[in-house]
Formats: sequence, structure tokens, C-alpha cells
Amino acid sequence: MPATAVDTVPSLKDKVSPEEWQTRVELAAFYRLVAQHGWDDLVGTHISARVPGTDGKEFLLNPYGLLFDEITASSLVRLDFDGNLLHESAYPVNAAGFTIHSSVLAGRPDVECAAHTHTVAGMALSAVEGTLRPVHQKALRFYNALAYHPYEGIADDPDECARLQRDLGDHDAMVLENHGLLTCGRNIRSTWALLYNLEKCCAVQVALEAAGDGIIELSDDIKQNTYQQFQRTLKNNQSGGSKLDGWESSLRLLKKQDPSFLH
Amino acid sequence: MPLDYLDIIPAPSVKDHVSPEEWEIRVELAALYRLAAKHGYTDLGGTHFSARVPGPDDHFLLNPFGMMFAEITASSLVKVDVDGNILLDAGGHGVNAAGFTIHSSVHMARHDLICAAHTHTVAGIAVSCLNDGVLPLSQHVLRFHGRLSYHDYEGPATNLDERERIVADLGENNNIVLRNHGLMCCGRSIPEAWRNLYALEKSCEAQLQAMAMANASGRQLKFVPEDVAQATSDKIEARHGKDTVSRDWPTQIRRLDAEEPDYAT
Repeated sequence: MPATAVDTVPSLKDKVSPEEWQTRVELAAFYRLVAQHGWDDLVGTHISARVPGTDGKEFLLNPYGLLFDEITASSLVRLDFDGNLLHESAYPVNAAGFTIHSSVLAGRPDVECAAHTHTVAGMALSAVEGTLRPVHQKALRFYNALAYHPYEGIADDPDECARLQRDLGDHDAMVLENHGLLTCGRNIRSTWALLYNLEKCCAVQVALEAAGDGIIELSDDIKQNTYQQFQRTLKNNQSGGSKLDGWESSLRLLKKQDPSFLH
Repeated sequence: MPLDYLDIIPAPSVKDHVSPEEWEIRVELAALYRLAAKHGYTDLGGTHFSARVPGPDDHFLLNPFGMMFAEITASSLVKVDVDGNILLDAGGHGVNAAGFTIHSSVHMARHDLICAAHTHTVAGIAVSCLNDGVLPLSQHVLRFHGRLSYHDYEGPATNLDERERIVADLGENNNIVLRNHGLMCCGRSIPEAWRNLYALEKSCEAQLQAMAMANASGRQLKFVPEDVAQATSDKIEARHGKDTVSRDWPTQIRRLDAEEPDYAT
């Protein structure tokens, strides 16, 4: 149980705006969901969200040194794009995390949240030549819409920023080659759904390609139509999320199992 | 308030507002959703499991839109007609009618099938993408030998014409691989749909690992000989409704009753 970490962080609930509090709660929940699926990596990797009401100039990142299932709304660290911590925190932020997330959020004003993982399936897919294969409905969400960024070493070099931004372009999902996955979205819940779906696609491809040849390819028409259908559904949903993401339900379930993320 | 959704309950009880037969099927379908969640057969708030409401009308129960399978209760299930129009929705969550196309086609054509469960699992999607489909490699899969249908992918299943083609492809079988998409397992009862779903998911998982081993090592897959496969399939089919289903389901219900009894509320 994450009691130790929770006890040492004073609650920020009454010290920040209700909008920032909601962002903190939902971002903490995102970390917990990733942990629940086994997609965390000890204290590595990070998920960020912009702080509402700061003209997009400040964002939240995980306290470096906590496990994802120890992270709470109040322990998330608020910082600006120069890397300044904007309040006292017992934990620093991770340098590579700052590079990756500040690059995405600074380069993409339309993005409110970014998530990066080192999962086994994501790492495996990122280490094999070729792309995510558009051979099933779920993968067609990413048809011609998945970015790739070549590995340059630990991402603590600020010069990598521009190249990360260039490679991401207008996409909302990217394979960090030899490294892992990244998704970004107009809100926290859609970024979670993107990550979930991309991760599942990677797991499918690992299984499929290990099984060998004999994969049924789809026609260009079906691929294009299905991708367009996904895009229409997305646009019709003003909030940028869809109830298909099960977000509100997932957070109620989290609260029932371990409400400590709400601290 | 923005975070008010954290306090929403799935639905007030409808136990006293529906027939005892409907209540019973609601409890069983909610149990099926919970079992699927426990086994990881979920896709966030996507995919449906549907059940026919006992009685003369073509009425069905569906999952409340946006609700994770692990949160679903008997009362929160939404009653719809064959076009997806809502007849009873105590929790007010609505339904995702788009995905109901596949289910309604099956329910309309096959009144003997009480339940249809559609999944997007990693193993199910992967096998659905293989030309050879489901292979006779394990005892688990033999219940489907010669009794499994395939339907080619046509794009998102929102086109009503596709209903006829799904029905034609399903034929007299109870289970179908939706190619490049996922699986659908049906049953003449909810326990039977569960047994089919569990067996097909496990078969797909084992098949993929066997294929990966064979592919990497250069060794051959061992196919169950056709006569043995067919005889085993026939034997399992003949036992339907006896031990194979009835001994399994109560064990799962006991576990749910102990661990998450709210499913039956």
C-alpha cells in the first residue's frame, strides 16, 4: 500500500483552483491505471498534463522516485517550460521526462496531456524495422497516423527537443524507436485511450508476427474508410474523449479499490 | 462539479420493476461481464455482450455506454429493442448502438441463441488476422472443430446490410471469428456463452504461442488428426447442457458472490 508516500505529502486540494485539482486527480488516476495494467517501469517513464489557467505555460509531471501506484493528486510536481519547480516538492522531476514532455507540450498547443511508457510490447515493436501493420480494426486508428522517432540516447539533451517535435508533427501517437511509446491528446482521458489502444496494437503485432506468415491484408478502401470513421467519431465528440474510453467508470473503480490517488 | 462522476452509482435497483425471468437473466449477464473483466477480455468501454430477454418480444439487454465491465450491475444493464431503441435504462447511461449491429443480426436470425459476447482481446484479434484462422491444436479448441464460422472485415460495423452477411456466415454455428477484428461467442444460455468464450480465448492464446515456438524453432505444429478432432467435437456437443456447462458456471458464480457481490444488484 502506498501509505508512506501519501502521508508525507500535504494535500493541495484547497490550495489550488478546482480546475487544477481536477487535472491533478485525473492525471494521478492515469498513473494508477498504467500501473494496474502493468505498463509502468519502476520509477521510470512519465505522463504530463498542462495546468488549466496558466495560458498553457505550466504543466504537471510525476515526482521522480515514486512508483506509479504511489502517485497522488497532491504529489504531482508543477513546473514551467524552463524546468523550474513551482512549489516545494520532496521529489525532483526526471531530466529525460522534462525533455520529452516539454517538447511535446511546447510544440503542440492543441495538446493537454502526453504519456510515455516502456512496456514490453511497445519496446519490442520499437526495436523491429517496419511500422504498425494496418491489418485489424484497432490498428486502423493509427493508419498513416503514427509517428516514429529514432533513438538518440537518454533524452536529457535539450537539442533533441526540435527533432522530437519534427518527428511527432501533427500526430497524436509516436513510436520512440528502441525505447517505447508516446501518445498525446486534447485531454487526459483521450490520451489514456490512445495509449491503451496503441499498447494493445503492439501486443497484437508481437503475437501475429511471431506466428509467422499468413496475415490477411485489408484493401486500401477499407483501411481508409475505417480510419476516417475513427476520425469522424473523434471530431463529433467536442471534449476530445469518447465514452468508449470507459474513463469515468475506470476512475470510480479505482476509487473503490484504492482511493489514495485522490489525496 | 467536474469530478462528480466519481460518486455516480451504476443504477438503482430494477429488481421489483421487471419480471423474475428478466431479473434472472440480468444477474447472469452482469456475472458474465464481471467474469470477462476478471479474465482481461475487455476493451475499455468498448464491445458488447448482449442477452435476449425471456418472452415473446425481441428485447435485449446491453451494457450501459461508457461503463467498464467490472462496474456493471444487473440493474444497470439497458433493455433495448432490435434497433437499439432504449426501453429501460435505470442508470441513464445510454447505449452504444453502433456496435449493436453485429449482435442484433445474430439475435434476429437465431432465436435459440440467448447470449452473444463480442471481444477485442489481443489473442482474439491476432488469430482473427491469420489466413488459417483457428487451428486444431488443443483439446480446448476441439469443441469448435467444424463448428466455427468466419466473417470477413468490411470496415466499422455500422452498415445494416452487413447484418445479412454476418447471419449467412454464422449459419448454424454458435461462434464466429470476425476477421481482422475480434471474436464473437454465443450460447443457448449465458453459462454456455461463457464456456465458449473462455475456451476460444484460451485456444487462441495457446495457438499463438505454439505458432511462435514452431516458427522460431523450425519444428512442426502437431495438428490433432481429423477423425479424432471430429469425434471429440461431436462428443463435447452431445454433452451440451450436462456436466461441461453446469459444473463450471456455479464455481464462477461462487467466486463472484464472495468477491464482488454487487454485480447482482
